Amino acid sequence: MILEPILPKVLSVRHIPAAHPALLRAYGADPERHVSLGLVTCDQDDPTYVALDEATKHARVDVVFAKSFYAGAGHASGPLSGEILGVIAGADPDEVGEGLAALLRCLAHDACFYAADHAGELAVFPHVITSLGHYLSRVAGLAPGQPMAYLVAPPIEFTLALDAALKAADVIAAQIDPPPSATNFASAFLSGDQPSCEAAAVAFAAAVVDVARRPLLPRAY
Amino acid sequence: MTTSRTRALIAALRHQLGADDPLPPAPPLPKVEPPPVRVFPTQRSQSRYAKAASAHTTALLGIGHVGTRYATDVVLQFQAELAVAHEAVAAELPDGWAADNGLLALRSRVTEHREFLLRPDLGRRLDDASLARLRAEAQRGVDVQPILADGLSAVACMGSGLALLASFTRECEGRGLTVGTPLCAKFARVWLADEIGAVVGARVAAILLGERPGLGTGDGLSAYLVYDPKVGRTDGDRNMMSNIHARGTPPEQAGRRLAVLAQAMLLQRTSGVALDLSSLASDLGEAAGTGYRAPQQRVRLVEVGS
Repeated sequence: MILEPILPKVLSVRHIPAAHPALLRAYGADPERHVSLGLVTCDQDDPTYVALDEATKHARVDVVFAKSFYAGAGHASGPLSGEILGVIAGADPDEVGEGLAALLRCLAHDACFYAADHAGELAVFPHVITSLGHYLSRVAGLAPGQPMAYLVAPPIEFTLALDAALKAADVIAAQIDPPPSATNFASAFLSGDQPSCEAAAVAFAAAVVDVARRPLLPRAY
Repeated sequence: MTTSRTRALIAALRHQLGADDPLPPAPPLPKVEPPPVRVFPTQRSQSRYAKAASAHTTALLGIGHVGTRYATDVVLQFQAELAVAHEAVAAELPDGWAADNGLLALRSRVTEHREFLLRPDLGRRLDDASLARLRAEAQRGVDVQPILADGLSAVACMGSGLALLASFTRECEGRGLTVGTPLCAKFARVWLADEIGAVVGARVAAILLGERPGLGTGDGLSAYLVYDPKVGRTDGDRNMMSNIHARGTPPEQAGRRLAVLAQAMLLQRTSGVALDLSSLASDLGEAAGTGYRAPQQRVRLVEVGS
């Protein structure tokens, strides 16, 4: 049961071919450059951030809006809200369509949380992006095309696992967001060459599994 | 098989931690609504200027009065002719074709079609079996050795190849030249004629093969003639004729001109840039001259719509 993929469930995918300029502005798009919007909600936020970044690699679209909802998918405001709303924008409706297709492919086949315990209650996201698109590269302050480890876990697991990841490989912390996030997780972006990012992600996942198995270490002092 | 690097890594870690039960299969790709179907105008241009201009150019694309794009019918014509060219390159000469048509079948050292496209050097030499068959069965010491070959368009070879071979052979024999055993080479490049000609001891080797398809000419043959063929001859040693097809030089006419060329090579004992064509103007027609030529009337290979 352990480390099985928890597949993200896409709750809605919609496309506005020509959005109203006021809506474009409100969601961070630029009516001078953007015409068309693609919207997606999903019950897993971090895989969706990765998938939105994937869309920027496949089509001429910008990620104009991507925010996680408070307390996560378990406390969603409606059946279609999930944990995140992501919005991509482009000048050409077909480009936005291509971007959405790439995004859905990524969610179905690549980015997902994994179960770190046998009950499937503890989720960990030890994801390696081999080549950053221009969305997450901007968020992380790295160059597009670089590899990056995108690591997410609940607070205590994250803290111990991040320490293990940073010590496991020659990586630097591009960004660390300590708990709580909007969904009460914690996340980090680690930068390095691809083998280093992969080693860090594997060490992160292994450490989360270890914490899940032995949360209460006996006093050693 | 997974295409996700992360999934592969985590599956390996899972295995390492001792969990060996198989993972659930990946879900099928989600569906995305297709984009709306485009609608093209079907009306043809009535411009007299465009009609007159198109009669005097081989250009395929004209932008017309349509703004910063090509007119739709022009694009469709372009795509149709490009498709013919693609198909000609992708076509392959069937293995039994040569024998069915009474030709001695040879093949180059190329083993399959993709290799043929990528390795011109292998297409210029015979494989061992063909070399043995050529030595055993072909007539030696002839004046002219004709070789039919697929080249880059097996479609052209199978189309008008036999007609060109027949007319060339007939014209050569009519001029008192001895003609070698008719051969057909598969996966052949032009320079394969050098080795074949040398093996049979021909004085002139003539390879007739499908030419690299361009727009509107997926069915064209070219012919390359070389005097005293041997491996190491260059393109400067050859004379060639291209565009042998119904809308260019018809096979009948081409066969006659090629026979005239072969005869001139035998008389002058040379070929290529050294061959003097000035006395052949009456036989070769405009091909030997350097004067004014009337503009070519473009004939379409495929007709799109109407």
